[in-house]
Amino acid sequence: MNRALFGQTWRAQGIKLALVSAALAIWGFLMPVIYAQFGSQFRAILESGILPAQFAKLGGGDIFTLPGAIALSLIHPIAIILTSVFSVGFSATAIAGERQRGTLEVALARPIARQIFYRTLLAASFSFVAVTVTVLLAGGIAGAAFAGVTGELPIRHFPLLWLNAILLFGAIAAMGLAASSSFDRVAPALGVTLGFVIVMYFLEILGSLWPAAAPLQPYSLFHYLRAKAILLGTPVFLDDGLLAAVIVAGVVWALVVFPRRDLAAPS
Amino acid sequence: MPPIRALESLDLAVAEGEIFGFLGPNGAGKSTAIRLLLGFLHPTAGTGALFGLDIVRDSVAIRRRVGYLPGGIALYDSMTGERLLDYLGELSGRRPVRRAEWCDRLELSSATLRRLVRDYSRGMRQKIGIIQALQHDPELAILDEPTEGLDPLMQRAFYDILDSLKAEGRTIFFSSHVLSEVERVCDRVAIIRRGQLITTDTVPALLARRKRNVDMRVSGPPPRLEGVPGVSSLTAADGRVTCRVEGDMRPFLAAIEGAAIIDLTIQPAHLEEAFLEFYEGADA
Repeated sequence: MNRALFGQTWRAQGIKLALVSAALAIWGFLMPVIYAQFGSQFRAILESGILPAQFAKLGGGDIFTLPGAIALSLIHPIAIILTSVFSVGFSATAIAGERQRGTLEVALARPIARQIFYRTLLAASFSFVAVTVTVLLAGGIAGAAFAGVTGELPIRHFPLLWLNAILLFGAIAAMGLAASSSFDRVAPALGVTLGFVIVMYFLEILGSLWPAAAPLQPYSLFHYLRAKAILLGTPVFLDDGLLAAVIVAGVVWALVVFPRRDLAAPS
Repeated sequence: MPPIRALESLDLAVAEGEIFGFLGPNGAGKSTAIRLLLGFLHPTAGTGALFGLDIVRDSVAIRRRVGYLPGGIALYDSMTGERLLDYLGELSGRRPVRRAEWCDRLELSSATLRRLVRDYSRGMRQKIGIIQALQHDPELAILDEPTEGLDPLMQRAFYDILDSLKAEGRTIFFSSHVLSEVERVCDRVAIIRRGQLITTDTVPALLARRKRNVDMRVSGPPPRLEGVPGVSSLTAADGRVTCRVEGDMRPFLAAIEGAAIIDLTIQPAHLEEAFLEFYEGADA
């Protein structure tokens, strides 16, 4: 890893990371509070049969239990959009953006192997993902404390949940960086990564709302974010293994493709 | 899209301590050659070495000893000039020991360096480009169109920097379209076209080889220049004789001796014409 590149990447993303982290912390904070305030009412509405039962478990999360609320805070579109600022936005533009601007050759004219350049940006991507996931979960813990429901919070399972979430968003970041290392322009790298995430998310949500589409869920990476199961003490380690395998695939792709690419003069 | 053949049979050697000019029209392969040397491109055939190191296998070790100014350099616009130079220096892993000296000579003040790069003029960006390439005192500087955007005063300051580097034994590989500056600063020149090396020679030798334009007015019969060694494109009418003379001037001067010459102009050799002649020759 190159310390100068890593440090500069953090400096460049610092304000954005602070803003996204603040938003995620607030979002994480709100879910336990909403659960504490309205969970029983929502449960009553659901049990009345007005709403289909599927609405109670969007992407594996719900609003009737604290673990469900924490899980919902991770899989909700707001959380996905906010975390995607880095897992998609940063990773997909990290190399392709430098290439498009023409600054990649200024950086690579230095004694940095392309593998080191990539690995440094990968480390930066994962560090951003780690920060965003950490503040989101920390917000949830703070919200639970604020709402006075800490007793229902299985804190001991949080490290596993943290790891599971980092593996999911890390897998997305690894795919984004693999795309970024493969294209000369931002648009295709971002388009491929964003398309990948949207399709994955659509499959997961469609499967959770429509039983007939449930068989499609295993094709979605989001399906392997098992937040509620982890918090209820029933983690599926194979899921973590699968997410890790996706990360490895993305990393191997980039490490094979990027150092071998011919970087012609920017047009 | 059919594959593009970029560069082909270039064969080039640059000696340590010389300023080497690399000339060619757009698309000749200058940038391709430079990008091969720095590892941006991978050769499909052939080999290359800098400092005796293989350009593919030892690319990182080579770049540790090289300073590079890309043509039309792109910079990180959101940084200040100072921060940019710091950052690129950190990436180089070598202290920017000569930054202050080059900033001073290129009149880049501390106040200017504290401004954001996005606010810089074209000339200031080019100065930053030159400084980032030379601030760590590289053994070899590869400069692609280095005076692009510099005003004449700064061009002169830059030539002085090159003179200093040459005096210190540094090697400069210099790609340019501005032939007058190549003539001004380079020891040797390579001319390439469509990936082929047309010639490599010292600037004086290139100039000596080129044809000179001769224009004379005579009051009597024109001198007999047919068949004189080195003379070509001869025209004589209405007391005016024009021709081109290549190489040794003595046969020509002997042939015009005794002629009633009223006026005689022999245009000085410029590299630009030599350059064009080489291209014309290559086209033929």
